Amino acid sequence: MATIELVDVAHSYDGGKSYAVQDINLTWNDGVASALLGPSGCGKTTLLKIISGLLKPSDGKVLLDGEDVTALSPRERNVAQVFQFPVVYETLNVYNNLAFPLRNRKVPEDEIDERVTRVAEILELTPHLKRRAARLGAAEKQRISMGRGIVRADTTAVLFDEPLTVIDPHQKWHLRRKLKELHKELGLTMIYVTHDQQEALTFAEQVTVMNMGEALQTGKPQDLHHRPEAPFVGYFIGSPGMNLFDATPEAQGVRVGDYIVPLSQVPQGDNLQLGIRPEYVEASMDAHDGWLEARVNRASLTGNALMAEVSGAGLNFKVIVPENSPLRSGDTLYVRFPEENTMLYQHGKLATMEAAA
Amino acid sequence: MGLRLEHIEKRYGSEVKLREVNLELERGMFLALIAPTGTGKTTLLRVMAGLEKPDFGRIIVDDEDVTHLHVRKRNVAMVYQQFINYPPMTVYNNIASPLRVAGKSADEIDKRVHDVAEKVQISEYLDRLPQALSGGQQQRVAIARALAKDAKLILLDEPLGNLDYKLREDLRLELKNIASESDAIFVYATPEPIDALTMASHAAILHDGHIVQFGDVRDVYLRPNQVVSGEYFSDPPMNFLPAQVEGGVLAMSEQLKIPVETLQAPLMSGEYIIGIRPHHIEVRHKGESGTVDDRYLRGNAEVELSEIVGSDTTIHLKHHDTNITALSNDVGFFDLGEEVSMFIDSQQMHVFSPSGSLLASARAVRG
Repeated sequence: MATIELVDVAHSYDGGKSYAVQDINLTWNDGVASALLGPSGCGKTTLLKIISGLLKPSDGKVLLDGEDVTALSPRERNVAQVFQFPVVYETLNVYNNLAFPLRNRKVPEDEIDERVTRVAEILELTPHLKRRAARLGAAEKQRISMGRGIVRADTTAVLFDEPLTVIDPHQKWHLRRKLKELHKELGLTMIYVTHDQQEALTFAEQVTVMNMGEALQTGKPQDLHHRPEAPFVGYFIGSPGMNLFDATPEAQGVRVGDYIVPLSQVPQGDNLQLGIRPEYVEASMDAHDGWLEARVNRASLTGNALMAEVSGAGLNFKVIVPENSPLRSGDTLYVRFPEENTMLYQHGKLATMEAAA
Repeated sequence: MGLRLEHIEKRYGSEVKLREVNLELERGMFLALIAPTGTGKTTLLRVMAGLEKPDFGRIIVDDEDVTHLHVRKRNVAMVYQQFINYPPMTVYNNIASPLRVAGKSADEIDKRVHDVAEKVQISEYLDRLPQALSGGQQQRVAIARALAKDAKLILLDEPLGNLDYKLREDLRLELKNIASESDAIFVYATPEPIDALTMASHAAILHDGHIVQFGDVRDVYLRPNQVVSGEYFSDPPMNFLPAQVEGGVLAMSEQLKIPVETLQAPLMSGEYIIGIRPHHIEVRHKGESGTVDDRYLRGNAEVELSEIVGSDTTIHLKHHDTNITALSNDVGFFDLGEEVSMFIDSQQMHVFSPSGSLLASARAVRG
């Protein structure tokens, strides 16, 4: 296992006209379970290929434990990969499928046996060891693929590329749990690529959110939720996403629509956006001085809360209130945006703040 | 328009797909038809559309029996989960084709196409071919085509099923807005409770080819009349725990106990099934402080897995040998195998008989 670093990595597929990924500086520490999360086309798969060695980046370096491996092949880097669709030898039995990567590297048979037995146990493949892979279903085959990825003790890192795509929705949580167990028991460096925020946030201790070729934020799932460092992160993480408004600076806060949000720290300059999550908007049925008056256009249950779509002060936004709130469509609601949960962005990044006048 | 299904039965060979389906829908209703995938929703939609003839029963539209009327003579539109568009035609022609078949004038067609395209936000793509669009845009085209027909009955079969969750979030709100400006009947088949809660005015729970509950969407959600209603119309599914009342105490396990007098419904001695939604179970780390009201049943549990879903955390628990799912309204973290304390809110419990029918419901959230 190793620490993986990408230093100033960028890649262009068209000789520099456009970049699939750029400005990438990321570190995955030894033994950490992490994820690359973003919508399709965000560059996450390109990054995965750069880490594994399938793709040499146009610019920048790949380091394993500090050593430059940019020019090395996947085999020399010793990185294992698990793909979207199961890669198994249909004619071999499960045991031989799992043993294959070890025999390839001339590992002694008794060590192979020990390793295969252990991996089969974790992945609940023990009862199938003697069966031909062809006779198994998609979920079992994908477990074999995962097993082949992790079976070698000397692997640098295991990369997973949307590994649950072929799995029936009802079995997904079981495999998500298996993956977490695997990580806990084996302490492998794992990087999981997906567009599915649930899979990423459940699996990983460290998540990197990507969009349009850029790594926008890396952090714990809680950080991404509580303190999104870019408007896209606020929108993409969480359901419903963050409310975002254009903002202009004022002496003691910022103006959004016709409402001034009082702040003790104010941003400078223009091109500002204010972000606040629907669950962090403070709401009351009674009028309060300085609160924004809004009309409830629609109130619907979400299954564990009530979501109100409201408009006021020239703004449309969402507010989450407890499910037993008496709020109904047509009601008037008073809201404010508590400073501790209000984010300010400038040119897509966190804005620099100064003490208010 | 009004649509009435009377005693509908549909078989494929010896398999009974629908039995004794009765349903009455009125103009402007948005019905969510809720059931797991592959349990007869599509068959029921096809029967409503006239694409399948029922083996028994009648379909009445505005007091007219249309059971044997050909689908082309019925004023219906259908949207499927797979984006069905005509690949060689531009988006414009995809939307216009049913109008041309209906013999509308070129001027009227042009006006309608532009109107609906604007409604579903695809005006800028009218000259493109469907393949050049993303999945979400393709499904918007299919929805636009259904709306352009100005059908009185619009049937949607899991139309958002293939889209990613952010797109689903946006499209749900858009569809709701579109439906609220229309006087057509919308029937929306889905396994997802959130679809029904956000969009529908009414909900019907389909189980075993039969509608087991029908009503105002909030009423059905807040008062599931039987175990399967609670199971299907809850995400994650409602927990069902066998319980016993003896000596004035309701017990679900050694630990999970509460005096019957604390409950709002008087329960006699005997066997019950307690239904509790995941978000009415609070989970705390061991040693975490906090006050607990008498109305909570307390127990220990082990964390099987905690998952972050949207802005919530689903916690899969094991209490003795029972699987319990809890949900907290924030983004939290629980370790695999962690020992936790669990608090079940007795005021939110639904009490079912051992055969699965509702005896007493939770204190109603204001409906």
